[in-house]
Amino acid sequence: MTGDARTLAELLEESQDLQADALRPTRDALEELVETARPDRDDDPTANRSFHEAHTRALAASLTGAAVLGAAGGALLVGALASAAAASSPSDVQILQTAASIENLAVATYTTALTLPYIGGSAANPVITKFAQVTMGQHAQHADAFNAAAKSLGGKAQTKPDPAFVPVVDKAVASLGSATAAQGALGVVGLALELENVAAETYVKDTTLATHQNNKALFASIMGIEAQHVAVLTAVQALLEAGAPQLIALSPGTAASLPAVAGSVAFPDAFYKTNDAAPAGQGAVK
Amino acid sequence: MRKGRTKDFEGSEHELRALTRELDELHHDVGLPATRDAVGHMGATSRRTFLLGAGAMAGGAALAAVGSGALPALSGASARRLSALGAATFPPAGLSGDLAVATVAASLENLAVFAYTAGLSAVTAGKLGTVPPAVATFATTVKGQHTQHAAAWNAVLKSHGKAPVTVTNPSLTPTVQSDFAKVTDVTGLAQLAVTLETIAAQTYQAETAKLKSTAAIALSSSIQPVEMQHIAILYYVLGLYPGAQTSAGTPLAFNPTSQAL
Repeated sequence: MTGDARTLAELLEESQDLQADALRPTRDALEELVETARPDRDDDPTANRSFHEAHTRALAASLTGAAVLGAAGGALLVGALASAAAASSPSDVQILQTAASIENLAVATYTTALTLPYIGGSAANPVITKFAQVTMGQHAQHADAFNAAAKSLGGKAQTKPDPAFVPVVDKAVASLGSATAAQGALGVVGLALELENVAAETYVKDTTLATHQNNKALFASIMGIEAQHVAVLTAVQALLEAGAPQLIALSPGTAASLPAVAGSVAFPDAFYKTNDAAPAGQGAVK
Repeated sequence: MRKGRTKDFEGSEHELRALTRELDELHHDVGLPATRDAVGHMGATSRRTFLLGAGAMAGGAALAAVGSGALPALSGASARRLSALGAATFPPAGLSGDLAVATVAASLENLAVFAYTAGLSAVTAGKLGTVPPAVATFATTVKGQHTQHAAAWNAVLKSHGKAPVTVTNPSLTPTVQSDFAKVTDVTGLAQLAVTLETIAAQTYQAETAKLKSTAAIALSSSIQPVEMQHIAILYYVLGLYPGAQTSAGTPLAFNPTSQAL
């Protein structure tokens, strides 16, 4: 089928109904966060830095071992690990606020996209429409969770979008004005793909930057969701570019018609990159 | 989306050395007996039907060796490759903290490699009926990525003088074999793959918040999203919503860890 809008609409409704259940683990984590917000040795930036520097001087591990690991994970993994030097630099509040700013931008972008006829209108592929709706709702939940965590640590909620990325989104949206429906759909998917990837990469990196265990858990619970958004959008983008929008459908029979490349295009790397991660303090409340 | 970014990682010898130094932290980890405990309590009720039927811990679990020669297509043949090492001895004595997690992670990756290899063998043998090209590509690609994941964890272990893990996870192996024996088509294979990928992704997610070494956290965090992407495409192949969801199919904004080891 070319899209089961009824089923997806039901899913969306259920998703909203179950939002409280889905957020329960986050709430629990946030409650724990409040209890552990006070500084202690494990979370003290000075202590963390001393610990890091002590091990840096140790030089016990062999470069051979690192080379093997580097070969296994490639530069992507090395990039993730390289972030360790800054582990105690940004505060958890700044990291969380930046994350919220990315989520705010994502919500705004999907909201705008859904006003376009080829994304949210009658001319749109129903699967794309519902994906955008569900994903927008998920980003709103992510923003709420990040802001709740930031407030639990005494910070302010970030209600604005990431200032560094706003011009990029504005420019992309403006370029859609003269686009055909096909061009426009591809443009929106491409823009959403970039945003989702920034979010995923940022949160992967944030698991090494955050000092509180509950914040690490929060980032870890969201980074994979954003990565799934990336995978879906990558697959959708490939099908649109191949002129096969009819294959953007949720039906067991669709798989038989998919080109072989559809089985690999959505996850090009064995290790998730962090090259495009947003700087930790970029979206912090000033 | 590079605008506004202050620095892109480009890789350098300095950063490689930094990686080496970070790995040293693993020597000093004293925490995280949780994974060993979790493995020792696999009979608990936190995982779904997949793990309930076969009694993963009953009678001691067996391990399948991975990494040498062609793997068998079906469980009957697979059983001939099993070693006698039981779940109670896994992770091996002497490993704790992050290194124990690395051991479990490598064994999970080995199990995934084993399962996809067996699936591809069954496809080649014509035992799963007509197989869409995209599904075959998926299995081949994902098998390669799991192989890389296992190699990364084993590199961590080797760099600390520990033996690499070449066997599959002892707690899950019997059930995977049992379930694989029941697979007769691509849909069944995809469903089994979803379960394996979900356990792996949720285990990495849970450990990301518990690991002590920054290097280990980074490695775990770099793998979890990739497993999640595997899951999304598997759901798509099955005609389901392509994202984390409840057993009823409701999309989730936050990935749970109820199926983590």
